[in-house]
Amino acid sequence: MTIKLDANKIKLYSQIGTRATFGLACIELLKSYENLMICTADVSTSAGLDRCRKKFPNNYVDVGIAEQNLIGVATGLSDLDFKVITTTFSPFQTLRCLEQIKVNLGYMKNKIIMVGLASGLVLGPLGFTHASIEDVGVLRSIPNINIVCPSDSGELIKSLEESLLSKNSTYIRLTGGSNNKIINDNDYKFEIGKSIELLKGNKVCIISNGQIISECLDAAKKLNEDGISTSVINMHTIKPIDEKKIIEIAKKYELVVTVEEHNIIGGLGSAVAELLTRLKNSPPQVFIGINDYYEKGGNYFYLKNKYSISSDKIFEKIINTYEQFKKI
Amino acid sequence: MSNLKKYNQSFTDTFSLNDEKKLNDLKYNEIDEWDSIGHMTLIAALEESFKISFETDDIVDFSSYSKGKEILLKYKVKIED
Amino acid sequence: MQIDTQSKEKVELLSNKIRKKILLMAYSAGESSAHIGGALSTVDIVSTLYQLVFNISRDRFILSKGHGCLTYYAILNHLGFISDEELLTFEKNGSILLGHPVKNKDKGIEFSNGSLGMGLSIGVGLALGYKRQKKENKVYVVLGDGECNEGAVWESFMCANKFNLDNLYVFVDNNKYQQTGSNEEILVNNNLSEKLKTFGWNSNNINGHDVNQINKFLTDKVENKKPNIAICETVKGKGISFFENNNNWHHSVLTKKNYELALEELDDN
Repeated sequence: MTIKLDANKIKLYSQIGTRATFGLACIELLKSYENLMICTADVSTSAGLDRCRKKFPNNYVDVGIAEQNLIGVATGLSDLDFKVITTTFSPFQTLRCLEQIKVNLGYMKNKIIMVGLASGLVLGPLGFTHASIEDVGVLRSIPNINIVCPSDSGELIKSLEESLLSKNSTYIRLTGGSNNKIINDNDYKFEIGKSIELLKGNKVCIISNGQIISECLDAAKKLNEDGISTSVINMHTIKPIDEKKIIEIAKKYELVVTVEEHNIIGGLGSAVAELLTRLKNSPPQVFIGINDYYEKGGNYFYLKNKYSISSDKIFEKIINTYEQFKKI
Repeated sequence: MSNLKKYNQSFTDTFSLNDEKKLNDLKYNEIDEWDSIGHMTLIAALEESFKISFETDDIVDFSSYSKGKEILLKYKVKIED
Repeated sequence: MQIDTQSKEKVELLSNKIRKKILLMAYSAGESSAHIGGALSTVDIVSTLYQLVFNISRDRFILSKGHGCLTYYAILNHLGFISDEELLTFEKNGSILLGHPVKNKDKGIEFSNGSLGMGLSIGVGLALGYKRQKKENKVYVVLGDGECNEGAVWESFMCANKFNLDNLYVFVDNNKYQQTGSNEEILVNNNLSEKLKTFGWNSNNINGHDVNQINKFLTDKVENKKPNIAICETVKGKGISFFENNNNWHHSVLTKKNYELALEELDDN
């Protein structure tokens, strides 16, 4: 562990947002790992990496707007025992170079950490060429790649540190903007593949990840006040998913709800469902997320509402479904 | 602590500076540490110190140590020498 | 400077040996078929490189046109990485030797190639990494001419120029054919040498079957920090008269009769 997380730092990282936090984290990591290379496709300032570029020019590579080459170059570097982190905006990090990801990271198992900037809906005003609701689904079907969606800026730092230690490649999906919500307000233990219980209840279990967890926590608070005891689980790692926890959840709860800032096809909800459906007895599952269509553009708040993944819409959906099931 | 001391400390802490005398002439992007990340860190430090929340326009306009003092007046924070 | 007769003969012997191994593997693949034409066109490039220049403990080789792997397996067999028995498992069930190279460092197969347009990029990464580590290692990449249809190849060309990768040597196997027809029919991409000059490369047109010209490209020192490329005029199916310039031999079955006829021609040389 290289970067200390205390309450003050956590507050700062939340204020500056995940992208600037990523830039600061890279500088700290470069002090500990002299064989670390940060590779980008013309996004230095967008990724908070401008300072990194100036301070560590020998550990920084900008290939220009050429994401296929980005992954290829990163692969060559990884072959020489460099630790490699690549980054650009989510759609370009995952879709433009998907075949290179498949062959070089999945098939050849060359280890690279890919950080997808501004995934989910936060770039809504720029339209869905830049907003990203497909990345998890698409990467899930490539073997040998971890997929992590940190809940806040502090968790991003932990994801980076753990990814550097993992033997597999990792895709880290960043969501939210600056002044993002703090989900973890103190230091804590983080392990890829091990979910974290944020709120403990016993009737309904919400499984979620990324910044959208803040909406889940608000919804759960209301549900608890209304007498529907609700848990919230931070399932930050979609692959390898925490199977042990999901099996426990299946035994204990009356209703499972997955909430994701992603298409409900292929992402967290699908991953949970794939396990639940193999069990002899499992509770019904509500899929809350993006319903497989592209909205008109709009800001983060607007789009969360439109897609019904804001806290009040999550609350409504859960309370209605719970009451419905109770009647059956 | 006086407002001036709090104001200065935000700068010296954020940019790891030793010399308070040089603060008066400090401008955005004129030292390495006051880049875009440094700027957001400074804003966060000032918000914490003075318990205020800057508007986006003011964050963009905050281009120097002296300009910052003007902007803080909007938030009813007077930095007196 | 011309290479001496003895060295030239060694290269020619090696080329002949490789061509025979290519035929052997293709024949043993039976109905799985093999990419014969595009392997034969690269033989002289690869044997000159490995016989005269390549430093096995230092340098790196990427066959970006992965379907030309019969040549690659044959040279790795010559170097002792792949056994004679293993060569005969080519394209058989459970084999480590498939129709495109699959990464297997123990067998000398450095990377999995075959999806065209991706290998040069890895080569650029290697060359850049060696520069950053201040090492003297060189990187050699073989591209296909059809492969240069892929946009990703051009991303790599631009990148190599940006980082002054003079430790990178690229061969384009310009045999004028791609999968379903000639380059002229499918997608014209002429004047590669001139194009690469404008991309900031040391760029040359050479005869891809002339040992002297290949060696000259590899050994002439140009102190201008530019990456190096040779557009090699080659013949698809080179070495066997009824394969040459016949695109039916891009990927096909080698029958016993054709195998024996081909071997006869090689034995006459």
